[in-house]
Amino acid sequence: VFNMFKGLVGQKTITAEAMAPVLDKMRDHLIGKNVAADIADQLCTSVATKLEGRVLGTFSGVTSTIRQAIRDSLVQILTPKRRIDILRDVMEAKSQNRPYTITFCGVNGVGKSTNLAKICFWLVENGFRVLIAACDTFRAGAVEQLRTHARRMAALHPPENHGGVKMVQLYEKGYGKDAAGIAMEAINFAREQHIDVVLVDTAGRMQDNEPLMRALSKLIKVNQPELVLFVGEALVGNDSVDQLTKFNQALADFSSMENPRLIDGILLTKFDTIDDKVGASISMTYTTGQPVVFVGTGQTYTDLKALNVQAVVNALLK
Amino acid sequence: MVLADLGRKITNALRSLSNATVINEEVLNSMLGEICRALIESDVNIMLVKKLRENVRASLDLDDMAAGLNKRRMIQSVVFRELVKLVDPGVKAWQPVKGKSNIIMFVGLQGSGKTTTCTKLAYYYQKKGWKSCLTCADTFRAGAFDQLKQNATKARIPFYGSYTEMDPVVIAAEGVEKFRQEGFEIIIVDTSGRHKQEDSLFEEMLQVSNAVSPDNIVFVMDASIGQACESQARAFKDKVDVGAVIITKLDGHAKGGGALSAVAATKSPIVFIGTGEHIDDFEPFKTQPFISKLLGMGDIEGLIDR
Ligand SMILES: Nc1nc2c(ncn2[C@@H]2O[C@H](COP(=O)(O)OP(=O)(O)OP(=O)(O)O)[C@@H](O)[C@H]2O)c(=O)[nH]1
Ligand SMILES: Nc1nc2c(ncn2[C@@H]2O[C@H](COP(=O)(O)OP(=O)(O)OP(=O)(O)O)[C@@H](O)[C@H]2O)c(=O)[nH]1
Ligand SMILES: [Mg+2]
Ligand SMILES: [Mg+2]
Repeated sequence: VFNMFKGLVGQKTITAEAMAPVLDKMRDHLIGKNVAADIADQLCTSVATKLEGRVLGTFSGVTSTIRQAIRDSLVQILTPKRRIDILRDVMEAKSQNRPYTITFCGVNGVGKSTNLAKICFWLVENGFRVLIAACDTFRAGAVEQLRTHARRMAALHPPENHGGVKMVQLYEKGYGKDAAGIAMEAINFAREQHIDVVLVDTAGRMQDNEPLMRALSKLIKVNQPELVLFVGEALVGNDSVDQLTKFNQALADFSSMENPRLIDGILLTKFDTIDDKVGASISMTYTTGQPVVFVGTGQTYTDLKALNVQAVVNALLK
Repeated sequence: MVLADLGRKITNALRSLSNATVINEEVLNSMLGEICRALIESDVNIMLVKKLRENVRASLDLDDMAAGLNKRRMIQSVVFRELVKLVDPGVKAWQPVKGKSNIIMFVGLQGSGKTTTCTKLAYYYQKKGWKSCLTCADTFRAGAFDQLKQNATKARIPFYGSYTEMDPVVIAAEGVEKFRQEGFEIIIVDTSGRHKQEDSLFEEMLQVSNAVSPDNIVFVMDASIGQACESQARAFKDKVDVGAVIITKLDGHAKGGGALSAVAATKSPIVFIGTGEHIDDFEPFKTQPFISKLLGMGDIEGLIDR
């Protein structure tokens, strides 16, 4: 029936010229939401390529067609291609009598140690025993910071509530020592003590700092953690792309391995500080193709959430 | 160097004017587009960038302008003026006074580098012969006092703090009072990281400020911050009397354009920059020389004089 009217309404195809002003606005809009400029460009370009020459739906204009296409792209970028199910994987490792290890890495001050503590709390609440490995042996107070968290969580989950076993312990060797070595000792300790999970805290480092990036690569290479989490803050702007690219690059280049361990997932922190400027989530997932495994939404142990893709996309397009 | 990339791009964009045979709308727009692009890629707030573009457009009427060199010169100086407005809040940086107690309070978002920078600043003045000290009024973050203590001990800077007192207002007041009586000249107060969305944290900041009546409040910001910078910086300024900005982590790859947003939002000059995790990775920052160097004023003047 609709075919009959086609000629009457006039088939309109979408041209590059018609799209250009709308896409320009869209790009600025996304940048205003803190999507990195390059990524906003690439997104718009790919939508343009996809739509050019297409027949416009009878009841839709160029603007709404573009909006929908952008929405689809955003949803796709944020939707994990691969599910990371930590609780399941911890269970599996446990059944094989080996500890499950997560390494936290990222630039300075983004929230590695705090969110490590939140994940520790979450694991303990799920009945797993955790060992925190204090492998930031550089930054002043880093060890005491973790000790405080370990003590607090141990108080929330005392052995008497858990059949006499310590649910949270700290493995530390003070400052100035080799981080990779401490991580290894901690993992061995966990294996001997039948501790389920080892959470490895590392020092913050700038992605361009070659000696420090080499040291991180070594830590990951020699310890082969089950999960490498990149911790990035939702506040970060255009640097997000460079951070992730260079962390991955360093893990690949400095490992001298055929199949090096790269970043497996992203922990996006300080999500409570950015209102609707949620674009960093796009920049980070687009750059790596890896999912946002957790979102940090505050400074207490329970401020750890899963990413709500629809809510983020709505905020981006609002 | 800081924002060097941005400076280069802007200089290149301005130079494109000299290379064009005629200066028409198209040339002007393309140059402005290039500059705005460079600013956005450096994390300058997009609203500020749009404003800059509008201001430049509003003060230029191509038809009305004389031809040739004069036209180029006018465009360049208008662009330059607007760029300077971004970096230069037009107020002089506060300076401590020798022989009296100068109280400096640090504020900023979580993890921006306050505690590290506190020690750097105390050390900077100590090396110049000022009697400097540190007070830790962060009772929230795990290990905050240990961090400051270890930094201060290493740098041989007297410090004050507590493992048991939980009220930052009490500690700040006690520490400042103690050091004032002991005749310290630079008394720096470190505070917890906070953000505008949490009222109680902002209220606490105001109370600490009221308790110690700082001579200057420094807003510490991370060079990598993106579009959220402007509204956060503005909120800090609205709550307490921020008088200076310090940008940290400029040793990384970030271009630090957020600093320009912070300057605009707080109407305060950038006074120091942090370029690493070590205590002497710290440089004073002076707006005017920076502008000439960064925005390539030398080059621009060269262009204009030709
Ligand atoms: N608002 C908010 N603050 C957070 C969040 N996650 C961490 N923080 C705060 O960010 C600051 C830095 O956190 P840390 O965990 O010490 O960061 P880090 O990456 O370990 O820092 P370095 O080890 O020094 O590189 C602390 O004040 C935390 O409380 C979050 O999700 N929201
Ligand atoms: N590379 C680099 N790292 C820096 C610089 N300034 C601070 N840092 C690092 O950034 C991280 C956070 O610094 P802190 O001084 O703990 O930040 P803060 O603002 O006191 O954090 P909170 O008290 O949790 O809000 C630490 O790892 C510092 O070593 C800098 O200029 N360059
Ligand atoms: Mg840490
Ligand atoms: Mg601090």
